[in-house]
Amino acid sequence: MKSSYRQNNSRRSNRVLVVATVAVICILFIDALSQGGVRSLVRASGAQVWSLGSQGASAVSAGGFFASRKALVEENEELKGEVERLSRRLAELAALEAENSSLRTLVRVAEDLEGVAAPITSSLRASPYGTFTIGAGRAQGIVAGDAVVAGESGRGFVIGRVSEVSERSALVVRTFSPETLIESVVRDVPITVEGWGGGNARAEAPRALLLEAGDVVTAPSMRGLPIGVVASILSDAASAYQSVYIGLPFNLSGLSFVYVVSLDS
Amino acid sequence: MLSLLIHNARPILAVFGIIGAFFAPPWVPLLIMLILAVRYPAWEALLIGLLVDLLWLPATAFAALPIFTLAGLALVWGCEPLRREFLVGKRV
Repeated sequence: MKSSYRQNNSRRSNRVLVVATVAVICILFIDALSQGGVRSLVRASGAQVWSLGSQGASAVSAGGFFASRKALVEENEELKGEVERLSRRLAELAALEAENSSLRTLVRVAEDLEGVAAPITSSLRASPYGTFTIGAGRAQGIVAGDAVVAGESGRGFVIGRVSEVSERSALVVRTFSPETLIESVVRDVPITVEGWGGGNARAEAPRALLLEAGDVVTAPSMRGLPIGVVASILSDAASAYQSVYIGLPFNLSGLSFVYVVSLDS
Repeated sequence: MLSLLIHNARPILAVFGIIGAFFAPPWVPLLIMLILAVRYPAWEALLIGLLVDLLWLPATAFAALPIFTLAGLALVWGCEPLRREFLVGKRV
C-alpha cells in the first residue's frame, strides 16, 4: 500500500517535471519567435520588482529595524521615535545627496555629449551575463548599439552598450562583460582589451610602452570615449609584452543614473 | 520554528531563488537551484533558471545561450537518478 503510494507520488512528480520542462522549452521558443517579446515583459516587471525592493530596503535601513530591535527593550519609546525620525531623515538626505551628485556628474558629461539621462532599474551585480536594465527606451530615442556612459570627475566613461530596446526600458551589456574584446588605445598605442567581468579587463601591450596606473584607455569604436583606466601593470623581463589590468575609476554599485549617447553622430 | 522551516524548505528555497534572480549575485540562484534539484524533483529549479535568463540574457550572439535554463534542465533531470537512489523514501 505504502509502496504503491510512493510509486504514484513519484509518477506524479515526474509528470509535473515533464510538463514544466515542456513549458520552459515552449516559453524559450515563443521568446525566440517574438524576438525577445517574453523577455521584454519579464524585464518590465523586473524593473517594478527592483524599484519595490529598493524602496523596501531603504525603509528597513532608514527605520533601523534590524539594528534597533534589541535596543527597543531598553530604550524609552519617545527617544526611540525621535531617533528613528532623525535616521529616516538622514537616510533620505543621503539618498538625495547621492542622486544629486550622480546627476551633477552627468550634467558635466552632458555638456560635451548629446544624449539621454536614464535611471538604472535593476541590480548591477545580479546578472550572470554582465547586463543591467535602464529606464529609458525607444520612446526616448534609444537604439541598440548606443553607448552607456557614467561620469567621474566630469569625465564620461563608457560602461556598456545598449543590447535590446523596448518601449520604455533597455538592456545594457557592460563594456567589460566576460569574453568581450574591444579594440582600444592607450597612450596612442592600439591594444585589444578583453573583458573579465565585474568592471575589470586585461590587455597585452608591448613591454617598451611606458604605462602608468591611471592612464586612460579609450575606444575608437565608441567615439574615442574612455572605457577605463590602467589599474596595474605586470611586466616580465622574459616576455616582449606586459599585462595591463584595466578597471573603472569608480564603483558601479554606487550608480543610480547613466547617460546614453548615440554612436552614430 | 525549525520544524516549520524544514517542512516548508522547498517553497522557502524557491522564494529565495526567485528573489535572488532579481537582487543577488548569480551564484545565489544557482546554488538554490542545485539544492532544490538534489533534494526534490523540483520544477521550481527550472522556473528560477528560466527567470534568470529572461531577465538578464542579452540578444548578442556571444552570450545567446540560455545557460541558466540549460543548467536547470541538467540539474533537474541529471539529479533524478541520484534522488531515486538516495531519497526515494523522502519524496515530496
